[in-house]
Amino acid sequence: MKTYGDIPGDAGSDVLGQVNAQQERLRARMARIHAKVAVLSGKGGVGKSVIVANLAAAFAEGGLRVGVLDADINGPSLGKMLGVRGQRLAFETAGVQPALGPLGIRVLSMDLFLPSDETPVLWTGPTEGGGYLWRGAMEAATLREFLADTEWGELDMLLLDLPPGTDRIPSLLSLLPELHGIVIVTLPSQVSQLIVAKSVTMAKEIVKAPILGLVENMAAHRCAHCGAEEALFAGEDSAQMAERLAIPFLGRVPFDPVLTRCADEGTPVLLSHPTAPAAQALSRIAAKIGEALHRAPALAEAKESP
Amino acid sequence: MKFLCVQCDEAMKITETKGPEDGSLAVVFGCPTCRRQVAMLTNPMETQMVRSLDVKIGGQQAPHDPMAFVRSSLAVKREEVPSPSEPSPTGLGCPFTSIANSAFERQGLIGGAIWTEEAAERLNNIPSFVRSWAQRGIEQYARENGCQRITVEVMEEARQRFGM
Repeated sequence: MKTYGDIPGDAGSDVLGQVNAQQERLRARMARIHAKVAVLSGKGGVGKSVIVANLAAAFAEGGLRVGVLDADINGPSLGKMLGVRGQRLAFETAGVQPALGPLGIRVLSMDLFLPSDETPVLWTGPTEGGGYLWRGAMEAATLREFLADTEWGELDMLLLDLPPGTDRIPSLLSLLPELHGIVIVTLPSQVSQLIVAKSVTMAKEIVKAPILGLVENMAAHRCAHCGAEEALFAGEDSAQMAERLAIPFLGRVPFDPVLTRCADEGTPVLLSHPTAPAAQALSRIAAKIGEALHRAPALAEAKESP
Repeated sequence: MKFLCVQCDEAMKITETKGPEDGSLAVVFGCPTCRRQVAMLTNPMETQMVRSLDVKIGGQQAPHDPMAFVRSSLAVKREEVPSPSEPSPTGLGCPFTSIANSAFERQGLIGGAIWTEEAAERLNNIPSFVRSWAQRGIEQYARENGCQRITVEVMEEARQRFGM
């Protein structure tokens, strides 16, 4: 009796061919983007998205063509932070035209598909049963479509804002093996650092992804009256943590109410309050990432070498 | 997943899909040699699993439609986000069925019988108002005479037999 391997192809669906076609579309789209950088934490609530919005603004202000992909399918926030929620996506044969944020930043987020603030992402289907089995696949297929079917055009940089979860790194790398680098965001709290350390291990040891560095967010609070700085958390010094984990330290972003207010208003603080301490810190971090990306080819080569 | 006709030791081919109805998709496989058929019936969770892979049962024939998966999968979306343009030649509005049926025809499997490409082309040249009648007659002739495949020669024999 014939075995599985004796039968060429499948019964007529050509599933492998369909998957290959999907990957080819993704590869062709990504070939027009010079640098792809993922921003992640592993831990939720550390301020990844606000860091992404401002890094995008910093690079765009520097003259780069920048795109931002909100990879947080179920908790999209970049549409609001970059002030594009009211825009309509244009569906064309060649791809979907993304929304345009400040300085021409191209933005694609699930938020642009949802009709109201209160609407969550709900999938059509005959059942909610077994959702733990198929929801991950739905999100992965959505992320692939967002990457491959958005008409990004020629970009110097695409920033991906990843949702919480240390598993996001291998999932993303299976879609984007040519990822140029990962920026990891932490709070200076023990709880955050506990999870972030796992993300670093996953990226560095397990999937061998190039880590551009660690950013400490909400580093300290500066009193608006006397200017004194006060630590908000009692974790390990993030620079020491980076050294311990043997990854670059990119800098600290102070806790600043202006930063969160600007995020709510849909304007990166870096553009509206460029002299604010948080804005200046983010500019320095963007510069360091830019420097690290110049070394990215070396990182990629190191990844390929045995 | 592949299906094997144990009696014939022959790989089975998709001949028909139905649904999804009530969350269940029916995919019918036929043996090209003995024409025995089996149907795979999915439960709602399995149907959703297949859907989440963004592959089409029966093969993808429609040209790529950007973000068709997201647009067809979101239960609630903005009004201005158009639904994907799925071809539906059968008028049933079901991408699974229409695409599978198209794939079925492409392989030369029409109505459960195996037609060679040349014979299928000749069948298509028969005026539409008598085509289904002619097809049934030819397939009946093939079955009665033990023909595994419907070739142009079988068509000609049937034509002479029925005086078509």
